[in-house]
Amino acid sequence: MEFRKLPPVQEQIMKCVRCGKCRSVCPVFDEIRNETAAPRGHVFMVQMLRDGQVNPRQEVYDRLGNCLLCETCSVNCPSGINVHELNAAARSYIYEQNPSIGKELIFDTMWTKPGLLRTSTKIMSGLQKLGLQSFARNTGLTRMLPGDLPRAEKIMSSIPSQPARNRLRKINRARGEKKYTVGYFLGCGTDILNPNVALATVDVLTRNGCDVLIPQDMKCCGLPHIANGKMDTARLLAIHNIKIFNSYKLDYIISDCASCTSALSRKNMEFLLGGLKIEDEAFEFSDKVMDLTRFLVEVIDIKLPVVNKDDENIRVTYHDPCHLANAQGIKEQPRELLKRIPGVDFVEMADANRCCGGSGTYSLTHYDLSMKILDRKMDNVMVTGADKIATCCPSCSMQLRHGISRHNYKGEVIHPVELVSQSYPKTLPAK
Amino acid sequence: MDKSALQKELVKMLGKDKVLCDELDLMYYSYDSSFLTKLEPANPWAVVMPHSTEEVQQIMKLAFDNNIDIIPRGAGTGETGGCVALKGGIVLDLSTWDEIEEIDAKNMQVILRPGVIHAHLNKELAKYNLFFPPDPGSSQMCTVGGMVANNASGLRAVKYGCTEQYILGLEVVLANGDVITTGGMKARCIKNVSGLNLTKLMVGSEGILGVITKIRLRCWPRPKARGIAMAVFDNLDDAPATVLDVYQAGVLPSGIEILDSSAIQAVNLFKPEINLPEAEAILLFEVDGNPPSVEYEGQVIKEVAGKRARNVEWSTETKRMAELWEGRSITATAAARVRKDGSRIFAGEDISVPLAKVADTLRAIRALGDKYGIKVVNYGHIGDGNVHTAPVINPENPEEVERVMQLVHDIHLLAIEMEGSTTGEHGVGAVRRQYAEMEHGQAWNYMKEIKKAFDPKGLMNPGKLI
Repeated sequence: MEFRKLPPVQEQIMKCVRCGKCRSVCPVFDEIRNETAAPRGHVFMVQMLRDGQVNPRQEVYDRLGNCLLCETCSVNCPSGINVHELNAAARSYIYEQNPSIGKELIFDTMWTKPGLLRTSTKIMSGLQKLGLQSFARNTGLTRMLPGDLPRAEKIMSSIPSQPARNRLRKINRARGEKKYTVGYFLGCGTDILNPNVALATVDVLTRNGCDVLIPQDMKCCGLPHIANGKMDTARLLAIHNIKIFNSYKLDYIISDCASCTSALSRKNMEFLLGGLKIEDEAFEFSDKVMDLTRFLVEVIDIKLPVVNKDDENIRVTYHDPCHLANAQGIKEQPRELLKRIPGVDFVEMADANRCCGGSGTYSLTHYDLSMKILDRKMDNVMVTGADKIATCCPSCSMQLRHGISRHNYKGEVIHPVELVSQSYPKTLPAK
Repeated sequence: MDKSALQKELVKMLGKDKVLCDELDLMYYSYDSSFLTKLEPANPWAVVMPHSTEEVQQIMKLAFDNNIDIIPRGAGTGETGGCVALKGGIVLDLSTWDEIEEIDAKNMQVILRPGVIHAHLNKELAKYNLFFPPDPGSSQMCTVGGMVANNASGLRAVKYGCTEQYILGLEVVLANGDVITTGGMKARCIKNVSGLNLTKLMVGSEGILGVITKIRLRCWPRPKARGIAMAVFDNLDDAPATVLDVYQAGVLPSGIEILDSSAIQAVNLFKPEINLPEAEAILLFEVDGNPPSVEYEGQVIKEVAGKRARNVEWSTETKRMAELWEGRSITATAAARVRKDGSRIFAGEDISVPLAKVADTLRAIRALGDKYGIKVVNYGHIGDGNVHTAPVINPENPEEVERVMQLVHDIHLLAIEMEGSTTGEHGVGAVRRQYAEMEHGQAWNYMKEIKKAFDPKGLMNPGKLI
């Protein structure tokens, strides 16, 4: 769809009064501190693009790319502007005029073919196990990588050798009385980087009366593509996933990944597919999509077994993924879920809903800035003295693990569902 | 010196991290919140981010020697184009120079650099049970330097007045690079009538006399208690009448704010959880002080306002008070929500009229809105007669723009006709110079002479105020 005809570009740019409220909430602006990083500046630049005052060139992309797409500005904008949508649309428009082979390879070839993506990461995992990553670091070979990657490659540590899909069946029956049939949207990050989260998700869902269907041919949710100027590819991925999931009779489509549920939400479908023929199908699909923690708290109303344990309680804090708190307004449910777990002492951290700086590929492309944002987050984490940092996003998890390593902190990053799964005594039969 | 040579010289002087020269980067400094710069953005030749008085001095000397304009800028939240380089020149972005140098709690004052954010300052002062009372709606993003340069006030001016009342002294770098300290070189006193009051001259001078690089600010003890009464009216005229009734009853609230029916609608659309009642107008009375007096004054307001209002809600509950106050604070930009294909514009937004004429003014503004077929959201600091008007238009429709500019002109003339002013707190900037001349008569010429004394070459923020 043509850039200038996109609804946010047509309807929202003119609403910006440049009040500057966004300057007070943007984590990137907080570090850079000049107007080129202000969200209202991004809106202004998108307007300049729309009006032909600037050409769609890489330098403009670079400035717009200096944004986490965390949506903090959008939810705080008094004029109701979806700044992140304008930014993403502009990135895509610029990218179309400035395509790159590298991005085509990553986002069109690899990231649209789950098998290829899994194979690539499996090779990386193998290389890590052979000690080649350490070798490359020690011999300075990583310094030959482009851009921020020589420093950012450290974030990509210990990739599990087996993705979740290799360990999960397509159909997982409810244990005990069946209440719902749910489709599990197993996102790339969970599948490849956090397979234990996927195992826990299926375990907890089946224990709580859900038949869990995992379509084998689902693809990426498309969020990395939106963030990297590949909106057309994101549209194709969305259409593919809509067709796949709509072919089953499902009560809900559940994901444990904040980014996936936000990408599959009605709001994002309106952005990607609004006005197209497939719109109704897209809404039928997205209206079934629900974050796992919300599903467990609001739909299942999960009750966990109280057991006498000799172990001491564990101290757990929670980091709000932007794509859950900002994009979907889901803040209370993950906390409520954690509080329902026996043996968990929940402790709130300061600024829990402030971005960790990960934001998918942002930490790889803007490593130094991303680390400044992460360090602020880690300061707040460490004050809590938490044993576990719970969060619902693979990208946040990766970033926070890197933060733990940078700060030599004792804690461990975990998804709430893993704690829920662990809370079932191994000897206790499933419900 | 041409633009390119200037940029090179500035980079040599300050280092590349403190200078923006790329044409694309400069575009981001072509605007503030004014409608003027939305219509006509204007790029500077360079943006610099100095972090010391010496750096500012060097920049000023370079500009003076080469006849280059200097435009000081805070957070760019002003509404008059005041911080935009209308005809090139160097923009001094002072927002990153944000050290609070000293909180002198024993002397009830604080010394800070211009880029400190207002809300941040009050957060730090709260640790000493102090506060800086002026409370602009843009508290979370505006800089104290910008507040001083514009003599800003805000929601609590009814009781606490404007910024000028709190400025004890300033360090100012003049156009030729000279540095002066107003209010006394080593003074830490609160009362000081020695010499001509250059401090008051600098406050509100909108960057046309010099660059404010350091601020010595008086703080007040933080009130122990607060309460907010919300009075709901079915008749718009009853709201200003009630304000006068409350004063007559011997109560001086810390803030009295009005939201008309459109403003109420805008707030509810942005923050439904605030849940303001539908009405012709709402008044918010804030009282502060010690707990018994707050409770007493709250009850007096409840009783007095209850005579005209449909309903009065009195709250001392922290969450509700924060909601109500936030509701008012965000009205300025949330006004855009009342029209799907519209935006509020910052033009003709700051008139100030005598208390006894507020009702007539509000009625007249409504009539003007009807005359030009433009929706106008009204809100503001009714307690001191400062009415904020927010015309909501499609700014990309030239015909609507033309109509709204006529409306704005009429609103400014209305203020003068009502024996008021075209600006209560936002300033003159580039958008109200023609009216300032009308307001000041012969004094206008003396203002020009004062400007010449400080800035003989006319390099300081040209095209603004004078």
